[in-house]
Amino acid sequence: MPFLLRRTLFYLAAFIAAATINFFLPRMMPGDPVALMFSSAASELPPESLAALKLTFGFVDGPIWKQYLTYLASIFTGDLGMSVKYFPLPVTELLGRALVWTVGLVGTATIISFFLGSFLGMLAAWRRGTRLDVIISVCSIFATSIPAVVTSLVALYFFGFTFGWFPTGYAHDPALDPAFSLQFVGSVLHHALLPMITLCFVLTGGFTVTMRNNMINLLGQDYVVMARAKGLSDRRVMVLYAARNALLPAVSSLAIALGTVLGGSLVTEVVFNYPGLGNTLYQAILARDYPVIQGQLLVMTAAMLVANFIVDVTYVLLDPRLKGSG
Amino acid sequence: MVQLLTGLRHNRKALIGLTIVLIIVLIAIFAPLLTEYNPAARTGRPHQPPSADHILGTTRLGQDVWARLIYGARTSLAVGFAAGLLITVVGTALGIIAGYRGGKTDEVISFFTNMVLVVPNLPLLLVIAAFVGQAGPMVIAFILGITSWAWGARVTRAETLSVKQRDFVKAAEMMGEPQWRIMAFEIFPNVLSIVGINFIGSVIFAVITEATLEFLGLGDPNVISWGTMLYNAQKASALSVGAWWDILAPCIALALLGIGLSLLNFAVDEIANPRLRTGSNLGRWASLVKAGEGRL
Amino acid sequence: MSDSLLSVKDLTIDYIGAEKNFRAVDQVSFDVAPGEVFGLAGESGCGKSTVAFAVSRLHIPPALIRKGSEIRLAGRDVLALDNKALRDFRWREVAMVFQSAMNSLNPVLRIEDQFHDVLATHNRCSRKEARERTAEMLKLVDIKPERMRDYPHQFSGGMRQRIVIAICMALNPKLVIMDEPTTALDVVVQREILQRIDELRRQMGFSVLFITHDLGLMVQFCDRIGVMLSGKLVEQGRSDEIFRRPQHDYTRKLWASFPSLKGGLLG
Repeated sequence: MPFLLRRTLFYLAAFIAAATINFFLPRMMPGDPVALMFSSAASELPPESLAALKLTFGFVDGPIWKQYLTYLASIFTGDLGMSVKYFPLPVTELLGRALVWTVGLVGTATIISFFLGSFLGMLAAWRRGTRLDVIISVCSIFATSIPAVVTSLVALYFFGFTFGWFPTGYAHDPALDPAFSLQFVGSVLHHALLPMITLCFVLTGGFTVTMRNNMINLLGQDYVVMARAKGLSDRRVMVLYAARNALLPAVSSLAIALGTVLGGSLVTEVVFNYPGLGNTLYQAILARDYPVIQGQLLVMTAAMLVANFIVDVTYVLLDPRLKGSG
Repeated sequence: MVQLLTGLRHNRKALIGLTIVLIIVLIAIFAPLLTEYNPAARTGRPHQPPSADHILGTTRLGQDVWARLIYGARTSLAVGFAAGLLITVVGTALGIIAGYRGGKTDEVISFFTNMVLVVPNLPLLLVIAAFVGQAGPMVIAFILGITSWAWGARVTRAETLSVKQRDFVKAAEMMGEPQWRIMAFEIFPNVLSIVGINFIGSVIFAVITEATLEFLGLGDPNVISWGTMLYNAQKASALSVGAWWDILAPCIALALLGIGLSLLNFAVDEIANPRLRTGSNLGRWASLVKAGEGRL
Repeated sequence: MSDSLLSVKDLTIDYIGAEKNFRAVDQVSFDVAPGEVFGLAGESGCGKSTVAFAVSRLHIPPALIRKGSEIRLAGRDVLALDNKALRDFRWREVAMVFQSAMNSLNPVLRIEDQFHDVLATHNRCSRKEARERTAEMLKLVDIKPERMRDYPHQFSGGMRQRIVIAICMALNPKLVIMDEPTTALDVVVQREILQRIDELRRQMGFSVLFITHDLGLMVQFCDRIGVMLSGKLVEQGRSDEIFRRPQHDYTRKLWASFPSLKGGLLG
């Protein structure tokens, strides 16, 4: 399918761009890039590990393009180096563990808030000018304009500390060993709930506004008017004619929103001390663990590109005009 | 332009938003008159709850929270507006050039725009900031400016494409005006509402992101700003020891500024796109129907 | 006029503004007899489409049909219908063809689904019955029934408008409103579509309320014509009368703007 093939090639280019930034950034900073990146490593790591680490990041003898190719080669073989703080844990493994929690949290929150937001936006647009519309619009403006860090801190303070309804950190009760037991799964859900609700609160408003605007612009379309003239029920016109079409631009704006979603989740994880990518990254920043900091950009970019690809596929499935004809 | 301004005057969202933002700006400007304390100095015992001496309490280091809050507003506003301006200038210029020139120029710019849009923004900022070290507010503003213009470029380009088709642009082309003049004097004034939305949106984004970066420990901890207030409070475990004022004060300030700016932004959007309005005419309509004056 | 199918009396419609109202339709009265083609002419913005929308009660706020207005179809008071009766009334009694041929079909639904939802809503048809009826209707407008599984974007503009007309016929309505049905199409397709409608009308006996700014087209196609000017119906009469002996200044001006028509087309 040419559309999807084109997108895939574009994503590959974007991933290489992220890697290129990683490669040039330490070399653009004043001073010696090796000293900058591995100052803490030099004192803690055995010399042969340090040499391996340098090789991974392209610090080899030779012209810059050779260094660049060396770096790209290590990335595409899945070698992101080792964490300095948690030596000798490879970065891929460290981030891989964290990614599971982030994907679970962010994926669920995104799906919930996308559907909830689109539903509220649909209602607001359909009942434009009524009290329902005003309430939904004003609430979503408020929800979107409050920074994720603020929402998270306030939620943690009230629901975690003051009322004590939810745990204030970690992904599950530390006393439990990971297992497929009811107790463990329950603990995981209980720990995920507050960060999840917070993220939904942060994200839903944006989706609501997008859907409302898309839908209002569609309500004047002839096919929506014709659906009403056909005597179809209001609900059928609203869902199958107006919302179904307004969903198309909403899905493609979802792809752009994913960046914000990831950013929001980073912060939420740090506040809730949730062991996902955000928190791993926070620890790495505090320790100036550069291999991990660089690795997260690649992992995040890859996650973003996969999510974008899923959005593209969904779009193709939803819009018959893109099927077949390309 | 005039239409935009009169529209803003009659829009309730715009008035409320503008009031909030103006109050914060005034407080920031007149900060020295509003507190007797030096925001950096130890002026009381650690973590004291709000009292007559310290209306918003003290931090763990015994600094006055209110003083830090109003001096911090200066930093947040300065970074917000500087970065917002930079983001808007870059985005608008690239968007207009890509949209107006079309062809190869457009392809190249659009390719980069889309690329920047799929590389997640905050992780990218984190990497850059981590290498820069303890970034001061203006360095953060600069980093934001060079990484966050893509959305603005995209919407400006789309708008330019439609303005380009209009008669006055064609007329200017016929008269042999140079391209830069057409872009600056024919296209730009006609995409102004998009530029406005882009600017306010970018300011919101910059204020939030600066606070977030500082909260994550990537700023200069000696700078007084809402982000470093959050960072220091979090490091001092303010929530678990019950010093809520230490963390809620900057939280509420950030939320208020965010809400004020967003209200302004939605107001501009509604004026540029009247269909989105919830309009007072619908209220009149409803009362006429109720009064039996007519029906649908 | 007890023998008329559609009777519009003193129809007045305002668009409610924040401070002032805009009167789009002002005291308009006319009748359409069974089997008759009645045309509403006038430049864009004169309120002719607003009248058409009112007959099916399709207006949304801030449009307001003022009290004292009356619309009757086959004796029924259209403005008094409640929601359920209105849904039942729409399409079964009055079907409608819209201006934009490219845009009146839902792009994400198959053609058969857009027939099916009419048939299922009004006749409680099963899928299979709906398909049979769809095939029958598509044949009427010369579209291969097997294409009912296609999506709208796979058809040309003229074909899409024919599909819309076929959907109009699905319930045997008494009145078909055509709101500038051919403006978006080229002249050859335009003619073809109008001929098709004329044949169908003779066959099935519905009336047509035809709306256009194109007087030439109107004179060929309509039995009677009403001319609208800024919300008011300034003149109405038989097509040939309006054509040969226009009474109102505005009608004369309209004719003057189509010089090539004089004498040529009606012949």
